[in-house]
Amino acid sequence: MAVKFFGQFLVEKNLVSREALLKAIDLQDQKNLKMGEMAISMGYVSQDDIERAHNAQMSKDMKLGDLLVEMGILTLNQLNDVITRQKNTHLYIGEALVLVGALSSEKLQLSLDEFKADQALYVSDRIELPDGIANSLIWEMTADLTYKMITRVLDLQFRPGKCQIITTVDSNFMMAAMDLSEDVEARYIISVSEAVQKTIAKAILREDSVEGEPVEVLEDTVMEFVNVVCGNIAAKASQTGKTININPPVTIHPPTTGLPVPDGHTGLCFPIHVGEDNKMELILFVKN
Amino acid sequence: MKRVLVVDDSLSVGRQLEKIISDSGDFISVGHAKNGAEAIKMNHTENPDIICMDMNMPGMDGLTALRSLVVLDKEVKVVMVTSLGGVGDKFTEALKLGAKNVISKPFETDNVLQILREL
Repeated sequence: MAVKFFGQFLVEKNLVSREALLKAIDLQDQKNLKMGEMAISMGYVSQDDIERAHNAQMSKDMKLGDLLVEMGILTLNQLNDVITRQKNTHLYIGEALVLVGALSSEKLQLSLDEFKADQALYVSDRIELPDGIANSLIWEMTADLTYKMITRVLDLQFRPGKCQIITTVDSNFMMAAMDLSEDVEARYIISVSEAVQKTIAKAILREDSVEGEPVEVLEDTVMEFVNVVCGNIAAKASQTGKTININPPVTIHPPTTGLPVPDGHTGLCFPIHVGEDNKMELILFVKN
Repeated sequence: MKRVLVVDDSLSVGRQLEKIISDSGDFISVGHAKNGAEAIKMNHTENPDIICMDMNMPGMDGLTALRSLVVLDKEVKVVMVTSLGGVGDKFTEALKLGAKNVISKPFETDNVLQILREL
């Protein structure tokens, strides 16, 4: 029911053992050369060059390849050659499992088909964002995955509204937020009315009624929904080579005047229409 | 019946997992720890057979607690529960540190019980 990577799917389905998966991952670690190792093996750079670039990385927030080009050690064409070679020789986890004898080639193909069917629910649909937003594909995927989780986890009928740039977030009953960092920096917020909070609580607690539940439990369920969505966003992003770290969620009780978008950020609001008198929004504060 | 300790900073996830465990008839919940440090203490006092532990918790996180638990108690079987299960590196790290499996959130009752029964 979640975004998964292929190895995890195979272990969950008991198609390979935990030990076999670890053996295959070790083989991948041996065969899949890192950028610097590949550049050395292709004769473009020396070990000393890589060490100099690693030292320079301590004071510069740049990827190794870009830094090698900036330092004049590697040309842009050579960097592209290295990246292409890495892609062309990459040993995938399925292939590694065949090589360590944990799966036959036929079983691998069948399992891949089953995996694709399982994950088809999380294939992104296109969502339109205003022009000029950095890393827009990530935020489109974020909104899309949020909608899919509202359907699958909360079983809630809704209609997504058009994404707008905002400077202040409208006030609401409560919000739960999670900070995303590493390759992208943003704050992910779900804003809910009291009725929507109860709907989320019923779904997360798997109870027909949440009357009498303490406030902290009700709020915790909204935070947990945010945690589940953001974890799956991180998983989906990792499939495209982007690393997203998540921090523990927090609650926000916004003032009646609303919540201003912090300086240096772009505020994106995705209205989620769930019926009259109920308000739900996905908000992103994306660092510029 | 096998004894299960739930470790999660979230009140709602703790309740959800304890309910699944208790309703199964095969397992009994021996408590709910809110972070890694509490998990290590409760592993000592409650002596569970299985620990279901969140990976991302404030204070001592799940992976740090896992490192200690596998050294302190060779018998207990630890399963990580996380919304980050689909991040390959996180899944692999948990297995390498000694977790028996990883349950991804959102989880389904059948999937949780299947994983626990196979331990």
